[in-house]
Order: sequence, then structure tokens, then C-alpha cells
Amino acid sequence: MSVLAVIRPDAWDLPLFVHILGAMTLVGALALVLVALAGRDLRLAYRSLLFGVLPGWIVMRGAAEWIAEKEKVNDLDPVPSWVDIGYSVSDPMLLLIIIATVCSGVAVRRQQQGGALRGTALVMTVIMLVAAFVAVWAMSTKPT
Amino acid sequence: MYHTLLFFHLIAAFLLAVTIVMYSAVALGATSSPRMLFVADRCWDVGGLGTLIFGIWLALNLDQYDFFDFWILFALLLWFVATGLGQTVQRRIGGDDASAVAALHWIRTIVVIALLVTMVWKPGA
Repeated sequence: MSVLAVIRPDAWDLPLFVHILGAMTLVGALALVLVALAGRDLRLAYRSLLFGVLPGWIVMRGAAEWIAEKEKVNDLDPVPSWVDIGYSVSDPMLLLIIIATVCSGVAVRRQQQGGALRGTALVMTVIMLVAAFVAVWAMSTKPT
Repeated sequence: MYHTLLFFHLIAAFLLAVTIVMYSAVALGATSSPRMLFVADRCWDVGGLGTLIFGIWLALNLDQYDFFDFWILFALLLWFVATGLGQTVQRRIGGDDASAVAALHWIRTIVVIALLVTMVWKPGA
């Protein structure tokens, strides 16, 4: 299995690169959101969600579909567990991103520094970071 | 063993990404707090060490890789360049010359992306 994991067709390199780059942007921006929310800098949190987390997710998810199509993993029966984990972690994440962005955006507009909106965005961000950790584990260890 | 090493190698790489994103926000005009810089710098320290240790371990662990493969040596060179730039940015952030620090940060960002390109394409492998 290790040999199979190390050797891959050249055509998979670009989608893999874009997928990892998007995922890294997503995780880095999520960490920035967490630090900003902890420091009650809601404007920075909102901008990080809008210009870092959301584009990172779109790039990561789009490239995931691209490489899945190249590897034809969705045609396998059964679909490998690590692919299922990837989908079940990444797809609901979009909803959490939208909730966190709306909450922090409304808080910025109302010029609130704390309260339920900040708390909700904070919880969403922590959940997304944990989900990202699980996704990295699934993508790298490829459990069957 | 390979997958476990790869997992820790990737986690370390993601820590580097955290640093890059946080410093990019500062370079783009976000207000930097001591907490943000502390988190960014510790992620750089741990991520840098982690990518190096687990990366070399991976190279030694697999028969398909040789430590003296071009892409591994090139990645090590890029790692040292990125580390040097990172240390310089850490030292000079908050000083008078913000534009020079921002320029150093963007160069570091390009080097880190070049590292990722090297890891994925593995030139010379």
C-alpha cells in the first residue's frame, strides 16, 4: 500500500497540489479566525472568514472533486472509507462557514464585541478545525 | 508506519500554513496583536521542526526514496531558506521598516509554496 501511495500518475499532481493549497489556506484562515475571535477582533474574524476560509474551502472542495474524477475513486465499489470521510467532513463545513460568517458579519455591523454572535462563530470555528484535523488524518492514513 | 509519518508531516506543514496566513493578514494591513504573532511564531517553530524531522524520517523509511534524491535535497535547501526568512521576519516585525518585513514575508510565502510544489511533483524522483 505504501508503494501505491508513493507512486501516482503525473496527471494527478496538479489537482493534488491545488487541493492541498486550498486546504492549507482554509486551515490557516480558520486558525486566524480563532485567534481573532479570542481577541474580540470581530472585523478581522469576519474578513478572514470571507476572504480566507470561504475561498480556501471552494478551492479545496473543487480540487477534491477534480482529483476524485482523475482517480475514479467514486466508481469503486465500495467507495473507500477515507473518501467518504472526506466528503462527510468537507460538505457540512460549508454550512458552518456560512453560519460563522453571517454571525461575525452581523456582530461587526452592530459593533458588538462579544455576546452570542461571537460565541456562535467561535464554536463553529473550533468544530471546523477539529473536522479539518480528522480530514487530514483520513487523507494521509487512508483507512479502509 | 508510512501513513503515520505522512500524517504528522502534513500536520506540521499545516502549522506552517497557519503562520503564512497570519503574517499575510498582517502584511495586508490587519492589526497584529501580540497573541496573533505568538501563535504564528510558535506554529512556525513547531511546523518547521516537524516537517524536517518527519520529512527526513519518511525519506529514510521508504525504499522508493533515497536521501540524496534531487527533490529531497532541493526541499531541504528551500526549508533552510524559508527558516532563515522566517527568523528574520520574527526578529524585525514591529520595527520601523514594515515594508521590508512584508517583502521578506512574501518571499518566504513563495518559498513555502515552492516547497509544496517540490513535495507534490518530486522532480528527479
